[in-house]
Amino acid sequence: MKNFTKLRDWSRKNATVITSLAVTIIIIIIFQIINPSFLSHEGIRASIYAMSYFLIVACGLTFVIMMGSFDFSVVSLLKLAALFCVVFIDRYGLFVIPLAILLTTGFGFLNGLLVARFNVPSFMATLGVSIIVEGIALYFSKGRLFLMYNEQFRALAIKSIAGLPAIFYWAMAIWFVSVFIALCTPFGRRTYAIGSNLVAAGLSGVNVVRHRILVFMLSGFYAGLAGVLYMGQLGGGSVRLGTDLAVPLFASIIAGGTALTGGTGGPHRTLLGVIIITWTQTGLLMLAIGRDIQMVIFGIIAIALAAATVDRRRVKSVK
Amino acid sequence: MKTLIGMIKNNFVLMVLILLVVVFICAYPKKFLSPVNISSIVRQFIRLSLFALGPTFVVVIGSMDLTYVGIWMLGGILVWYVSSWIGPFAILIYPILGFVTGLLVGVIQVKAKIPSFILTLSITVTYWGLTAWLSGGYPRRVKGFGFITASLLPYLPVALLWAIPIMIVAVFIMKRTRIGTYFYAIGSNEEGAELSGIDVEKYKILAFTLSGLFTGIGLIILFPLLGGSAPTELKLGSIVDPLIAIVLGGTPLVGGSGGPERTLLGALTFAVIQRGLSLTFWKPELIQLLLGLVVLGAILVGARKLKGMVIT
Repeated sequence: MKNFTKLRDWSRKNATVITSLAVTIIIIIIFQIINPSFLSHEGIRASIYAMSYFLIVACGLTFVIMMGSFDFSVVSLLKLAALFCVVFIDRYGLFVIPLAILLTTGFGFLNGLLVARFNVPSFMATLGVSIIVEGIALYFSKGRLFLMYNEQFRALAIKSIAGLPAIFYWAMAIWFVSVFIALCTPFGRRTYAIGSNLVAAGLSGVNVVRHRILVFMLSGFYAGLAGVLYMGQLGGGSVRLGTDLAVPLFASIIAGGTALTGGTGGPHRTLLGVIIITWTQTGLLMLAIGRDIQMVIFGIIAIALAAATVDRRRVKSVK
Repeated sequence: MKTLIGMIKNNFVLMVLILLVVVFICAYPKKFLSPVNISSIVRQFIRLSLFALGPTFVVVIGSMDLTYVGIWMLGGILVWYVSSWIGPFAILIYPILGFVTGLLVGVIQVKAKIPSFILTLSITVTYWGLTAWLSGGYPRRVKGFGFITASLLPYLPVALLWAIPIMIVAVFIMKRTRIGTYFYAIGSNEEGAELSGIDVEKYKILAFTLSGLFTGIGLIILFPLLGGSAPTELKLGSIVDPLIAIVLGGTPLVGGSGGPERTLLGALTFAVIQRGLSLTFWKPELIQLLLGLVVLGAILVGARKLKGMVIT
């Protein structure tokens, strides 16, 4: 009897994790039944390619959402880093990688500055910054399609280690680091504190302005890293790269259990969310369901998930 | 001197507008005042303001509505579908779709308490997917609506004549009716509005519905004006431009002040900047980049009133 109560308490405490896990397993089973090649070697590789770069961006965005803000620019920053690499690889060699990441981190700093210092609502600030980022990406790519011929660069993402592509290990490493930062460091504590109550965090001695800028920089850094690896994985691209990424991206974060209102969740939850969303994507692709229907599906999923995760007791009104 | 500074501070955007016009006239005296340029400024102004008027209601109550792009895209393809059955009446799809979308967004936002920015973005992406699916991936041109904006006399912008009543109605609702007053009350302090007996949920739904309806009515004029077809690809610019008109005009994104008349001013200013920049001999990519900086500047100008507020 006592064991039973314990089990009930435990399952209540971890309700979101259990639901996410259950959904993941159900998705795998459904797709495996409809299409038996889903769990074949090729199928798993496709799923891992789809989830790896996605996980890296999602981890960065999770920190921002945990803090109660939103970063719309990650999609554009990913594109910028990817295009920067492919356009300038001939001129700078592998040195483009730190340059690209530095560039996106810089834009993260700009995001943070606008939000924390100039008091612009975060979605508007990041929307404005992504207009500039898109402008820059267009400026140096001139709308052309570029292909990546540098084998060393591509090996960063596609070199096979123990049967799995290298990008998978990158993503897992980044994920571990993010979980560590969120759960075991003062940085993570402060992010949760700001997400729960910005004013209270400021009054209890957190340097709110500096910390918010840092979190936006972290998000920009992750987006840049994901962009570099994504280019290695894809091997080419134009300005049209990744335009429909935004909605699946935040759907995956809320699917993991990080509510948009901030202060809860974290990168450890995001892993399951990313698996749910990206594996559904690959599963749908394997069933030859196109990008248009996928957008409809993910749009509706995002709304449903956002509605399900908002803590209506804590939040009185939402703008 | 002090009153002069105060006047500039209060009418900052108006001053910017006058300054810009003077600068552009000095730089390109012949080109800027040519009929072609004036009419394209008017065109751009109509486009920005008709897209931005509806969302202004929502911004005043402190929320955000991005569905205008979704309504534009999905409506365009629906008009194409039904125009073979009911002819010119097909354009009425737009107000209907706008109304339904607005009502839907309002009810979901109020009942489920999803941040309106995320909600309307998701709905826009859903509409985008539906548009791409229904259209087969490329824009469908619908002929037969040209009569709405056909010019009766040379240089007389008929589209503007159609747009003016819409603008007047929007300003009237905001300034002279109880609905407008309640919107301001909700925007400046939602809890206070609730405590003083305003049915906040009802008026929030009303704001979203009005936003969708105004977008839909505006699109009756915009659809033929923009060439009788709607895009099937979501562009960041078409989301951001109307928002810039709102923010530049002086309606703060936290709500509570501003209004449609300010949005019109913002739309005119942004139209002048866009057209003025395109008169230069710079490369289109560079102009795009400069417009991005203008957007950033506009956001900063719009945020100057928010000092000391808690913004996430």
